[in-house]
Order: sequence, then C-alpha cells, then structure tokens
Amino acid sequence: MLLKPLAERRSGRFSRERPAPHETRVRVPEAALTRDVGGREFVAFVVDVRYGSKWQEDAIVGCAYRASGNLFIERDNEYFPAALLLGKQVNAVAGVCRAAPARS
Amino acid sequence: MGTFTGQTDGTARDALSLHPRSARALPSIHEKTKSFEGVPRRRGVRKFFSHWVGRGFLILMLVGSALITAMSLPYFDFETLPPFVVEKLPLKFEALWLAALRVHVAAAALGFPLCLGLMTRALQKRPLWHRWIGRAAGVIVLFALVPSGFVLSSEAKGGRIVTVGFVLSGLIVGSAMVSGVRAARRRDLTSHARAMRHVIGQMSVAVVSRALIVGLDAAGIDPDLAYVVALWAPVLATVAVVEVISRRPMAWSRHRVELVERITRELSPLALVVRIRAFVRPLARFGR
Repeated sequence: MLLKPLAERRSGRFSRERPAPHETRVRVPEAALTRDVGGREFVAFVVDVRYGSKWQEDAIVGCAYRASGNLFIERDNEYFPAALLLGKQVNAVAGVCRAAPARS
Repeated sequence: MGTFTGQTDGTARDALSLHPRSARALPSIHEKTKSFEGVPRRRGVRKFFSHWVGRGFLILMLVGSALITAMSLPYFDFETLPPFVVEKLPLKFEALWLAALRVHVAAAALGFPLCLGLMTRALQKRPLWHRWIGRAAGVIVLFALVPSGFVLSSEAKGGRIVTVGFVLSGLIVGSAMVSGVRAARRRDLTSHARAMRHVIGQMSVAVVSRALIVGLDAAGIDPDLAYVVALWAPVLATVAVVEVISRRPMAWSRHRVELVERITRELSPLALVVRIRAFVRPLARFGR
C-alpha cells in the first residue's frame, strides 16, 4: 500500500533526493493489536532500507489501522497521514498511533 | 636547424665535421628532425586536447544543466511536493523555503546556460552581446541564485557540514562575480576571466555533485556519506582546478591577442573619442 507507490515515485534520478534504497523490508515489532485513545485498533510498523550491505533500521516509523486501513507515519514526534510521503500536503493528526494509557 | 632537413645524413655530418667535438655532439639527422618537430607537435597536441577538454566541459555542463532543469520541473507543481522536499518535512519556514527553492531552480536554469554561453569564443568575439548577456547573468546570479541558495543551505540534508559547504560555494560564486564585474569595468580581462571561471566552476558543482551521488550510490556507499563527499569534493577540487588553469602561463596566439584588443577597444572610452572625431572632422572640413 505504501512501499509500491513510494518505489514508483523514486526513479534514481539526477537529483539531490536520497537515492532509492537497494532493498526495503517492513517489520512489525509487536504482532498484537494496540488501541489508541479513541479505542481504535492499530498495529505499529517500521520500514528498514538497505544501501550497499548496510541496513538502516527505522527509516520510516508508522502505524496501520485495522478497521479503516489508514496509514500514518511519524515525523518529529508527530503522526501524519502516509500520503505525506507521496508529496501530499497534509497536517499532523493528534492522538493516532499512540497507545491509550493502561487502566488501573 | 631546418636546413638539415632534406639533406642526407652524410652531407650534414660532413658539413660540420671540421671540428671533432661538434661532430661528436651532432645527433643524426633523424634524431634532429624528430627533436625539433616534436616541440610544435606536442604544442599542437596539447592545444588540441585543451580545446576539446574545454568544449567537452561546456557540452557536458549544458546537458547536465538541461537534465537538472527537467528533473526540477516538479518543484513548480504547487499541489504535490517532490521527494526531495518531502525528505525535509516538517520545515521551520516551509513557505519561505519552498519559495527560495523555486527561485533558486529558476535562476540556475537561466543563469547557468547563460554563463556557459559567455565562456564560448562565439560570444566573446561579440563584445556588445557578451557585455549585455553578462549583465543579465550577473543580476540573476547575485540577486536570485546566491541569496536563495543561502536560504536553502540552512535546511541542507546532512547537517552543518553540508550547510557550510553550500555557504562556502555561494560565497565563492558571489565574491567571484563581484570581483569579475569590477575587473571587467577596469578592463583587466585576465582577472575577469579568472573570476568568471570560479563562478562557472562553482555552478558546475551542481552537475558534478549529482553525477557523484549517482556514482557513489552505484558503488554501494552510504547515501549520507556520499552526499557530503559529493558536495565538498567538487567544491574544493573546482577551486584548485580554476587556480591551476588561471596561473598557467599562456602562450597567447595572434588570434587571442586580436580578440582581447577588440574587446578592450569596445570597452575603451578612447573609442568614443575616436568615433566623435571621425564624425566631427568631416563636418569641420565641410565648414571651411
């Protein structure tokens, strides 16, 4: 959903943008679903990229919502819709991708 | 020297064999001809190579400039941000930074080809064109390219070391352009050429740096390191190359001397006086 459009967008061009990674992998650190403050279930994910022989972990950090399928990515401790990576001008969304405090 | 050519080996030796030392010192005709002909031949080869290296550089830079311009067109899409900008988000002063990016790209797309054109013999032979295009290029570089570059450098990828690299390159371009214009105004064409080579050299960093990024990526170098190397190496190497070229003693050909004389005449206030005299004299004669 995210990696394919990203790969299509990058094309190893004559530009100062970061070159396309030689390999990309997605990890899900915790398989269990988490609930945010609104009670919606999401799962966190990270994307690692490889340049040469070296893997750079956590190149993209984000979360995916189970019911809606919405993807968010983290930038400067804020979460934005993943469309940001595709160049869309979007604002940070408060309260997403953060686990609700545990009830005592 | 040249008189030996066409003579047989024996004749030449006989002609100078009166003194035994001179006969011993005399190389064979074949060697002699080779050594004397070698000098102009080597000069010719060097001239040929320097001519084609210069021309090749201009062509490569023009192609590179066109490629960068083509790749930069998405920066003018006001709906979608290009990946180069997305990588930097969120920016402190996003609107200012994006405006600076667009000004910088437009100024470079116009200014770099103009500066490359000014380096060609065709435009240098036409002083009036050279002067006016030079003025346009100077304004674009000093009032658009360099200031917008400074704004962009504040948010450069790779941190302070890259920011310093961009600022240094911008300072070289700005100061060389000012000193080049001042040199032209006082008719010091040697200093003018040296300063303008620095301007072109630093502008060429845009092309060389991108080519290096592509090459270092193909070699599997970490992109963060590659970005720093691809900026600093061409900036410093260009300064060194320009200084070496500018300090090289030049054998001024008759053609080049004529060209400089022509440009100097165009710039000279004496030319105006001569023109006025040429106009006034017939009138004065007519009045007698």
